Amino acid sequence: MKRPTRGYSAWALMRAWLAGSGYWRPLWSGHTLKDAYDVVVVGAGGHGLATAFHLARDHGIERVAVLEKRLVGYGNVGRNTTIVRSNYLLPENHYFYEDSLRRYETLSKDLNYNVMYSPRGAVDLALSDDDFPALARRGNAMLLAGIDVELMDVAALERFCPELEPRRQRRFPILGALVQRRGGTVRHDAVAWGYARAASAHGVDIIEDCEVIGVRTSGGAATGVETNRGHVRAERIVFATAGHTGMIGAMLGVPLPIETHLLQAMVTEPVKPLLHTVLVYVSPGHGEVYISQSDRGGLVMGGHLDGFPSYTREGRWDRLEDVAQGAVELLPQIGAIKILRQWAGTNDMTMDGSPVIDRLRYDNVFLNAGWCYGGFKTIPASGAACATLVATGSAPDLIKAFRLSRFATGHLLDERGGGPFPARQ
Amino acid sequence: MTRLVCPFCGPRELREFEFYKTLPAGPGSAFARIYERVDRPELSIEHWQHVEGCRGWLLVYRNPTTGAVLETRLLGGAAEGGAP
Repeated sequence: MKRPTRGYSAWALMRAWLAGSGYWRPLWSGHTLKDAYDVVVVGAGGHGLATAFHLARDHGIERVAVLEKRLVGYGNVGRNTTIVRSNYLLPENHYFYEDSLRRYETLSKDLNYNVMYSPRGAVDLALSDDDFPALARRGNAMLLAGIDVELMDVAALERFCPELEPRRQRRFPILGALVQRRGGTVRHDAVAWGYARAASAHGVDIIEDCEVIGVRTSGGAATGVETNRGHVRAERIVFATAGHTGMIGAMLGVPLPIETHLLQAMVTEPVKPLLHTVLVYVSPGHGEVYISQSDRGGLVMGGHLDGFPSYTREGRWDRLEDVAQGAVELLPQIGAIKILRQWAGTNDMTMDGSPVIDRLRYDNVFLNAGWCYGGFKTIPASGAACATLVATGSAPDLIKAFRLSRFATGHLLDERGGGPFPARQ
Repeated sequence: MTRLVCPFCGPRELREFEFYKTLPAGPGSAFARIYERVDRPELSIEHWQHVEGCRGWLLVYRNPTTGAVLETRLLGGAAEGGAP
């Protein structure tokens, strides 16, 4: 069942050099849609591909397909700002995100594909007297869970991130920061490509341009999916469709605690290295901005949601201005750099800001969704845990809290304490 | 979507308005009204407020797939769900 693949190593480079340009093969290719599968995963984004990869590698499930309406990595895995970190307040969240960060640390080796994990530090800034205790509380919660994090005052922050010039006079002076040194960035497209390649090598069929338009059921169980290429029988179905999860709920006749909102990001023209870490500033009062510099030199920035439900993947102009303003406030030296391009992704915002990995209506249909704007950093943990749920039928402890029924039973995971207002999560 | 038309103030830039919530598609339990959303890609009925203008509450009918604003009305009266 396994397909021949070319592993990446120094030895392979040598052989490729001797063999000439025909040596390397496409990362994944030549998969044809079959009539029936053990598991059909809908959506070839990070979560779908990672789930398929773990199903095939860890659970020995041989017939797995990933069906994708567009292209591998067309959705949010290719639209995020590449930041990884595990500095969350709630135990249910920080253990899960920490598991993900640890998996990211070794992901290049696990996939035999360089995902360019860069532990450059994730710096959450405090700009007001209210920010600092909130960061301290979050940091203490993490330390109790054994996750490394440092609460820095201005002097320590100046040593860690001199380019920020924390002592510079500003309208909102920098008071300190919560710094997670192992946080940083990962090349986002490489995660999608790496998982697709590794899944393909383990026998997973990756079918692009294949849109799922319905679910076929019989006797209280799903029996397969209707696609634009015909019917595909499936023992189990996993939906990992991020911003289009609402449509999946409509397809199955289940109202979901999810609204779709847009989140924008942008990148500037490339410049020489000027920022060696990831700067994050989040405040309900002042807005939100996060900045890092890509290896190509562009400053990658993002901010808050656009603030109303939308599938358009257009961003609103004034949000772009807010983010640019916030970025220049933090780093005045970038004021003259031009923005190169801007884009938006559709985010599956849940009513408490935390994800859902659970069964959906039928015993053999699973939902991997509700990643809000934090989906990229959770891909490795989500894929492994979701695969365990699908393969064994019971959820591992790490994701027990992410059940769909928590909204009805009142066990919400409201990281921000903002209530059921996804636009403001 | 770059502007909304306020019934009082006329067409204004989007930044003057704040989205408040999506209205449920039909009557349902309190739980459903708060937590559950029925996906309607062609029509979203929402409460907005013209926070940086007349501060009036608006009922906005939008198509979230195309971004088109179908109608904007002043919110009020039991027929439109009452004040939020």
